[in-house]
This record gives sequence, C-alpha cells and structure tokens, in this order.
Amino acid sequence: MSVDAFGLTDTGKVRENNEDHFVIATLRKAVDLGQTSLENGLLAGRVRESAAQLFVVADGVGGHTGGELASGAAVQCLLEYVAQAAGCFHDLGVDQENEFLERLEAGIHRAHERIQRELGAGGEAPSTTLTLAALVGVRAYLVHVGDSRAYYLDRGRLRQLTRDQTMGEYLLDAGAWTEETAARARTAGNLISTVGGAEMTPSVGLVDLSPGDVLLLCTDGLTKHVADPQIAEVLGKDNSASQIARELMDLALAGGGSDNITVIVAKLGSSE
Amino acid sequence: MIQKKICMVGVFGTGKTCLVQQFVHSRFSVKYHSTVGVKIDRKVVPVDEGGEVTLLLWDLAGRDGHGDITVSYLRGAHGVLYVVDGTRRETFDQVFELRDIVEKAVGPLPSAVALNKSDLTEEWKLGKADDKALAARTWHQFTTSAKTGAGVEAAFAWIAREAVRQGSAPS
Repeated sequence: MSVDAFGLTDTGKVRENNEDHFVIATLRKAVDLGQTSLENGLLAGRVRESAAQLFVVADGVGGHTGGELASGAAVQCLLEYVAQAAGCFHDLGVDQENEFLERLEAGIHRAHERIQRELGAGGEAPSTTLTLAALVGVRAYLVHVGDSRAYYLDRGRLRQLTRDQTMGEYLLDAGAWTEETAARARTAGNLISTVGGAEMTPSVGLVDLSPGDVLLLCTDGLTKHVADPQIAEVLGKDNSASQIARELMDLALAGGGSDNITVIVAKLGSSE
Repeated sequence: MIQKKICMVGVFGTGKTCLVQQFVHSRFSVKYHSTVGVKIDRKVVPVDEGGEVTLLLWDLAGRDGHGDITVSYLRGAHGVLYVVDGTRRETFDQVFELRDIVEKAVGPLPSAVALNKSDLTEEWKLGKADDKALAARTWHQFTTSAKTGAGVEAAFAWIAREAVRQGSAPS
C-alpha cells in the first residue's frame, strides 16, 4: 500500500525552544539481487521487499533544554532499538505480531531507562510524551505514553486512537471529577505517565486501516488550538500529506501557537 | 512462557474494556470511552499444576451502528470472551449472531459469555430462560461486574484454562 507521509514541527508563538521531536522512517527488509541464473520474475515473488512505516512524535517536558533533550533522546533511542529489531517486520504472522509489539514497547522502556540514567543525574530527569505508529501493510500498531495523540480519519469520521494520560482524564475515569471540575482545574493537564518520568505506562493497540484513510500523530500544541471537527475537515480534503500538515500547523499558529506544535500526516493510497 | 490471545467481543458499551481494566489493573472507569480498533493488555495468570500463562487480551471495538466487528483482529485467537450488558436486552440477543461471525472467521474456539453489570440489579433484564438459552448452546456463562469485580477473575481464569487445555490437546 502506498503511503504519502509528511511531518512538520514549529516552536509556536510563545515558547523560546522547540521541545518537540518527530521522525518518519521506513524500515526495510529486502534482498537486492545481483546476478542470478534463476528466472528473476520467479525469484522476485519470493524475496520481495517488505517494509514498515514508522511515525513517532514526542513532546519534551522539563523546561529549558531538558524537555528537548528528553524528547530527542527518546525518539533516537527508540529508532536505534527498532532498527536493531528490524528482522521481525517481515510478514507479521500471529506469533510475530506479538513479538513485534513487545519490541516496540521494549524500545520505549529502553528510552525511558536511558533518559533516567543519562539526563536524571543529580535530580529529577526531564521526560517526554511519545506516540508511535508502525504501519505494516494496512495494520497500524500503536504505542502511546502521555498526551500526544494519534487520530485517523475513517470514511470522513475522525477517530481518536489514543487516550490522554493526564490527571484530568484519570480523575474523570475514576469518577472523582466532573467534566466541569476538569475544565476548571489547573492540574487537569498534568501528565501521569511520561517517558523518563516517575511513572510510565505505555498503552498498546492497533487498528486496520483502509485505502483513503488518513493517520495523524500530533503533540498537544495542535489540539490546544484546533478542535476535532476542524481537524476532521482538514484531513478530509483531497490534498497531499504535506499540504494537510501545513494547513493544520497554520491553524494552530493562528489559534495562538501557545505551545510547540508537531504533526505527522500519513495518507494511505491504493494497495498497488 | 505460553501466551494465549483472548479476544473480547460484544456490542458497544457492554463493558469489555472495563472488564479488562478491572482484571489487569483492578480499576474501574465511570466514564465511557468507545474503543477504536483494538486495545491490548497483558496479564500473567496461574493455570493448573503450578504453571503460568500470559494472556494477551485483545479488546475489540464493539459492534455499533457504524459497522460490525473486524474479523481480521480475530486471527490467531485462542479464546473469546463475549460480553453482554445484562441491563440491555439487545446485547444478549446479538451475542449469538456475533458468535456465528467469529466462528465463521476463525472456527470454534474456547469461549464464554460474561453477563456484565450485575451490580445494576434493578435494571437487570435477563432471566432464567436466557441462562437456559446459553446452556442449550453449551456456552459457559459468568455473571460479572466490572465495577465491583464480582465474577471477573473467575471468567478470565476459566477462559485461560480452556485456552491452555485446548492448545495442549492432541490434534
């Protein structure tokens, strides 16, 4: 399946540093044929390339340069780990599928440990949110920590794939807060799970996508200023991933740009 | 360690996610969130003779007005826990059709029905005739409450045991 993917990040209008990071990567396992006496057409079907698309956004927490370092270290560490484990991206069978998810989770745990070890000397380590989507064929595997989000547009309907790991969501779920309390409370947006932080609880899931679906990963710099109906409208336009990403970014900046903003847009094309 | 994939299947809003959250994290959410795609959790549970099994709990988006369950998520499952909301009669009526869909896709698997929300006794819509209807189809049933935890451990322990037993049976 062809995928048109594009990412953008911006410091926004208020912050001095951009503590967000993102990556779009293609993980390949392929055999490049040199010479052979075998019929190429026959062989090509057996050693065809398989690939996974990897999308990651991370939003650093910690102020000054700490958050930037944490989000950068998390994305880099995760990418290194996943690259080492690239063998398991090939044709995910039932058993491999679980192994694959475990490796993605393990990559996040490794990043968590590295941040605590390397950036936490002498006190509390900076930390980061991290939302990852790995697209293998039509299936998107998701691992999520914090309040950066993954959405997809399914036949015009916007679906949020992740749930924010914040104090507000936690207390609403527990029935300790009402929506009104959460809307007023300053602490509602406090993160209760971050990579490198005191608590980290990755949430794991997956979804099967269809040609024409659009996947969006974003940090909260977008969702603070652009409501879900606006996001749905932009994702639904017949534009390229780069045009959509730019339009979302412009909306977030026009809405105030109070935080760093990062978006990754991936449009699924035909199955050719 | 042995791993068994157990799928949670049912109509939307029956409490599939809450049952998993109660079983895995011992917590209950009062706020409803519809599941999109699949949410995956793991828990190691003891099985017979001192062994252990890792349950991979695939919490599938419920059947709703927008579409049916996605059968591709069932591939490789070792067991299914169907979930009915005992206060919504229609969720019971649809569970038989859901089992047909699942079995058509992946064949017969160890399965049980959780008649959930048993804490809402005054709103309960199921009776003895319904118990008999399940028994007539040789379907193991549990009365559960994701809110209080009643019956939850028993339901998952049963499905774990059956998934392991079926997996080790000579083919």
